[in-house]
Amino acid sequence: MNVNVNFKWFFSVVFAIAIQVLFLRDIAIANVAFCFIYIWFLVKAPMQTNTWILLVGSMFVGWLIDIFYNTHGMHAFACVLVAWLRPVYFRILTPANGYDERSSISLAEMKWLWFFPYLFLMLMSHHLLLFILEAGDWTLLGFSLLKALSSSLLGMAVFGILEFFNRHE
Amino acid sequence: MIQLFQFLARQRVILLFLLLELVNVWAVFKYNAYQHSLYFNTTNQWAASILSTTQEVKTYHQLRIVNGTLAQENARLRTELLRLKSQQQPLTKLPYYVSEAMLNRYQAVATRVIDQSTRMSQNYLTIDKGRADGILPGMAVISSTGVVGKVMSCTENLALVVSILHTSNSVSAKLKRSGELGYIKWPGFQSEVADMMDVSKYKKVVKGDTVVTSDYNAVFPPNIPIGIVAKVGLEKDDTFHDIKVMLFTQFSTLQYVYVIKNRLAGQQAQLETTKPKSE
Repeated sequence: MNVNVNFKWFFSVVFAIAIQVLFLRDIAIANVAFCFIYIWFLVKAPMQTNTWILLVGSMFVGWLIDIFYNTHGMHAFACVLVAWLRPVYFRILTPANGYDERSSISLAEMKWLWFFPYLFLMLMSHHLLLFILEAGDWTLLGFSLLKALSSSLLGMAVFGILEFFNRHE
Repeated sequence: MIQLFQFLARQRVILLFLLLELVNVWAVFKYNAYQHSLYFNTTNQWAASILSTTQEVKTYHQLRIVNGTLAQENARLRTELLRLKSQQQPLTKLPYYVSEAMLNRYQAVATRVIDQSTRMSQNYLTIDKGRADGILPGMAVISSTGVVGKVMSCTENLALVVSILHTSNSVSAKLKRSGELGYIKWPGFQSEVADMMDVSKYKKVVKGDTVVTSDYNAVFPPNIPIGIVAKVGLEKDDTFHDIKVMLFTQFSTLQYVYVIKNRLAGQQAQLETTKPKSE
């Protein structure tokens, strides 16, 4: 990974957070589907990234989002957990011939049969945790589940479109 | 120590993960108004339920002491009750009044049963007060439900009570409804049932009538409940009813009994010795 790619990745993360905070904060489709595009950094972080760097990074980003969302600790909690679960998901989804040394996480390289299950697992675990924490009430579990599911589907559509446009580099 | 550090180094990712999540959980419950109140209410609820359970256990352990206090209070109330009962004016036009000494003749003392038997044919109880508390042989012993027996002998701090479950201990009794006199005697088996003797077969005895101590009794105050008529029988050529009495006192669960001091008992006994002997 050269400096240029690193810089580009960092810039994309900042950009995603800015969009999240400035535009997507107040948008909800039918009151149940929320778009959390800032998880982009977690989804797209290179496979070889150290887990502890990812943990600290997700803590930091989650905390930042929390400040703007006024939900202290909740996004950070969900992010750190997803960062922790990421290697587990990689292990679950290992393709038959293993991972390529240099494979990056993208629709073009991993094909949709790997990419979308991975995306679903990441988004679903993050959203489910986030909404349950936010509701703080087991009687609202059904509604939290609905929100998490619809948000995950929306997220998959958005990330799919982004990947589609990123295909030709 | 080195191994500990090695362990920590190996597990640094999971430790970091746990640390970060801990910080986040703390932040969630500390800075979010709703979650904060949730935490506060839930912990309060738990604490309250634990405390109330503790309180229940404590109360249970204090029951022994509470029982003792209640028994003391009962003794005081019984003294008062006996006084009030003897104060009642009989239905007579004579200028009768109850003397002060008569009014105050009975005094109840609460004692604890420390040993007893119910399964022998001669049963006794041991109680935890004796001569030091003014208890003397011959005094009546009752429970909160009915008669128990009478004091046979005392030491300084203990006393032995002959239970009415004793084949040679009889109590003068009467039927409450008809006023018929007789006496209660235990046949020697079954700690719940005694016989009532000496009730003439020409008198009417009803099943369910209450049996109480009679007025002509040197030991027991009058009208202390004894039991209830459970069965009335009559042998062919008997002159007396065969009455089975269900005793009120549950001897197997007795814990506290009241010794009734009769202040005039001495005088009465002394008087009765002056009776001229017949023949």
